[in-house]
Amino acid sequence: MRFVDEFRDPDLGRVVAGEILASVEPGRHYKVMEVCGGHTHSIYKYGVDDLLPANVELVHGPGCPVCVIPMGRVDDGIALAHEPGVIFTCFGDMMRVPGSRGSLLEAKAAGADVRMVYSPLDALRIAKANPDREVVFYAIGFETTAPSTALTLMRAKAEGVPNFSVMCNHVTIVPPLRALLESPDLRLDGFIGPGHVCTVVGARPLRFIPAQYGKPVVVAGFEPLDILQAIHMILVQLAEGRCEVENQYTRVVPVNGNRRALEVMAEVFELRPHFEWRGLGFISQSGLKLSPAYAELDAELRFGVPGVRVADPKACQCGEVLKGVIKPWECKVFGTACTPERPIGTCMVSSEGACAAYYNFGRFAREREVV
Amino acid sequence: MTPSCDDPFHCVTCSDEGIAMRVVAVDEDRALALCAAPDGARSSIEVALVGPVAPGDALLVHAGTALARLEDAAT
Repeated sequence: MRFVDEFRDPDLGRVVAGEILASVEPGRHYKVMEVCGGHTHSIYKYGVDDLLPANVELVHGPGCPVCVIPMGRVDDGIALAHEPGVIFTCFGDMMRVPGSRGSLLEAKAAGADVRMVYSPLDALRIAKANPDREVVFYAIGFETTAPSTALTLMRAKAEGVPNFSVMCNHVTIVPPLRALLESPDLRLDGFIGPGHVCTVVGARPLRFIPAQYGKPVVVAGFEPLDILQAIHMILVQLAEGRCEVENQYTRVVPVNGNRRALEVMAEVFELRPHFEWRGLGFISQSGLKLSPAYAELDAELRFGVPGVRVADPKACQCGEVLKGVIKPWECKVFGTACTPERPIGTCMVSSEGACAAYYNFGRFAREREVV
Repeated sequence: MTPSCDDPFHCVTCSDEGIAMRVVAVDEDRALALCAAPDGARSSIEVALVGPVAPGDALLVHAGTALARLEDAAT
């Protein structure tokens, strides 16, 4: 398929890998963070890290929308799912995320009407088809999925669907990046920017990273050649002493993003004063809630949720993994007590989570590192 | 126990994955378009954010909403 096959060409991949090798200074160790979980998944699926020199290390960032949901918000969702007459809808990956007393999938097994949907629009359709039931959509995701939730809420309001509501867990990408950059135990040389988030917000919001923290950023696509080229562009910036935001993914990402998407998000959402992130704690102005104009469609106001804060399991080191301080396999429970079938931490749940990606694809690479 | 998934390494239900889809038919009144994924699966996609679309257009879709036109993006 066009836009896909040419970015998976193995011969071109080897050419770019050679350019990367020519760009690194011997004796210098480079740490590059891929912010987005989609990049993490592609890196392991296609073995991108196997093409890199030993002194170029990829660090997995906090950009998996499922992985960053704290246990308390899962418990709140499960409480809503158990409300009488409620049909609770969410994306499939979300159903397996463990709360303090089980997951949404286990709540479904216990009798709650929990249904998997592919989009918020599917949830709205379920609401229209079941006018005698309350339908709640558990919204998660960064700026890639927030416009979809916003449009669905606008549609629900315009069409007058009284039995539809949204529990909003949308988050934004800039505040956690700033929190990471402020973290004293983090040492990074550059960032692979989140391509599809930038499709919505543009590349401009990432300019604070070179301007205030002196790190280069290259916004990248999700095919293996995209990622290799982005790494090369970061290394070239470092070699030339430059520090700026560059756009490798010009075939999809416009400089200013999608103005209409930003408008609908501004109409439907407003920033929460703070929001809890798994492993990262509370981050100011990092989460979205429904604006007053859409308050009647806010499930948290319609039903009231417990709002209990639950500490992460002690054995789980998702926080360190999300900050890139440790590799997934360095976690004490990785692959033993915590597996994709029985996850303890959220990084093992989603296919975009660093631990699940490493568990499924990265074991050969780990053997190489151990040797 | 895990939800059923055709791809053992990537859950197809994680809607935060961007998918390149091709427009098959357009419902202008409702700002929706029937679109086909590379594997042939068809679904109804929200197209309000990318302006008028026509059959054959390639779109980048997240969570059932088109965020960008693939052909136009480089310009």
